[in-house]
Amino acid sequence: MYSVSDIRKGLKVEIDNQPYTVIDFQFVKPGKGQAFTRTKLKNLITGTNLDRTFKIVESLAEADVSNVSMQFLYMDAEGYHFMNLETYDQIALTPESVGDSKNWLIPDMKCEILFWNGRPITLDLPYFVDLEITYCEPGTRGNTATGTNKPATLSTGAQVGVPLFVNQGEWIRIDTRTGEYVERVKK
Amino acid sequence: MDAAGLRRRAVVLRAMRTFFAERGYLEVPTPALVPSAAMEEHLHPIAAGGGFLRTSPEFALKRVLAEGLGRIYEIGPCFRDQEHGAWHRREFLMCEWYRVGALPGDVMDEVEALVAAAAAALGVPDPGPFERTTVRAVFQRHAGVDLATASASALSDADESWDDAFVRRFVTDVEPALGPAVILAEWPASQAALAKVRTDRAWPVAERFEVYLRGVELANAFHELTDPAEQLRRVHAANVAREQAGLPPNPVDAAFVEAVGRLPSCTGIALGVDRLVAALCGWDGVGPGRVE
Repeated sequence: MYSVSDIRKGLKVEIDNQPYTVIDFQFVKPGKGQAFTRTKLKNLITGTNLDRTFKIVESLAEADVSNVSMQFLYMDAEGYHFMNLETYDQIALTPESVGDSKNWLIPDMKCEILFWNGRPITLDLPYFVDLEITYCEPGTRGNTATGTNKPATLSTGAQVGVPLFVNQGEWIRIDTRTGEYVERVKK
Repeated sequence: MDAAGLRRRAVVLRAMRTFFAERGYLEVPTPALVPSAAMEEHLHPIAAGGGFLRTSPEFALKRVLAEGLGRIYEIGPCFRDQEHGAWHRREFLMCEWYRVGALPGDVMDEVEALVAAAAAALGVPDPGPFERTTVRAVFQRHAGVDLATASASALSDADESWDDAFVRRFVTDVEPALGPAVILAEWPASQAALAKVRTDRAWPVAERFEVYLRGVELANAFHELTDPAEQLRRVHAANVAREQAGLPPNPVDAAFVEAVGRLPSCTGIALGVDRLVAALCGWDGVGPGRVE
């Protein structure tokens, strides 16, 4: 258990059977009342925010969460398989918990997986990934105009908008946080 | 602490002393080391030298009022244990003033004028005029709850007293939604502390108001209680609540309780000087204006 005076940014707590992280907090003691700590919390599974106020004498349950570095191995009917780089333990994530990250997952990619009560709940990818364009309309040589995009299919099956001068067979860098094209890269 | 912050605070202190001098207020320093400090449930005094460091100069200043001085003020350090945050320090600078014959509305005018004078001295825009409203009205507006009829469970999900549920709801839903300059009057009678209570409203209310500037509680004012028996009853009730919460009772200041019986009708107000400077300068806490 944590006491209210332990509250700090990044503290992981469990409320109503859900894991949360503290994103902001403030000591408040209005007028003639009891002291409280006002907190802004983020649900680690759904990402939604929660505002909660704790009386100074209350306690908070510690969320048993840990971040583990894991390597993506392969995907099959059982799901997405990852390996713990220290223990070599393997786990499988369901397509639901991988979500849109599937668009950028490539074998051997090093990811961060957050475990809650021993159960994997979220997957964090590296910010940037380089992927090959497996199909797009031919580029216009010399056309470096920005602002005009064409669709391209990547080796993972994902579709992204790329500039007109980029060609099939070339490699591009994607920002996994936004899912957007960053630049062309040499391979 | 930074040098520019300390200069800003000095500007405000000078403006405040000029403000009070022009209005005929006498500056009365009173002891910081006192035989008994707070007599409230939620104020935690720091013990020192067989006595306590004052949580406010209120008891001493009321004894001065009972001696016949009608307009007095003090600017000095006060101490409240267990309070620390961006807007709280265990030691802070308080400005407290009293005016015999004044009603709460008169002191609302005066605190607005003081904030305007401090803003002018700093060369920042006057945040006034302040919106004047009641606690019941802002609860209706921002929490959709009528305090005149709401039970504790209507105010909060936690199993707690009505007063704790009120404060929890206030700090969660009401205080963050307040406008930039607000004066909130008529607090629950159960949180009257040293204020008179009136029963001619939809619910019993304390004649207390709080001044909020940029969401920060700047000042608290009472239409002062002048009934020593009622004062003593409240002190005992607060100590019963403290003992139930496992806290030591606060000793009773007999000289103060006796002086309450000789107190003329007056209104008094306590204003956090560090907070006034920080809120007017747009800081995100009291730190820059303090040596620490």
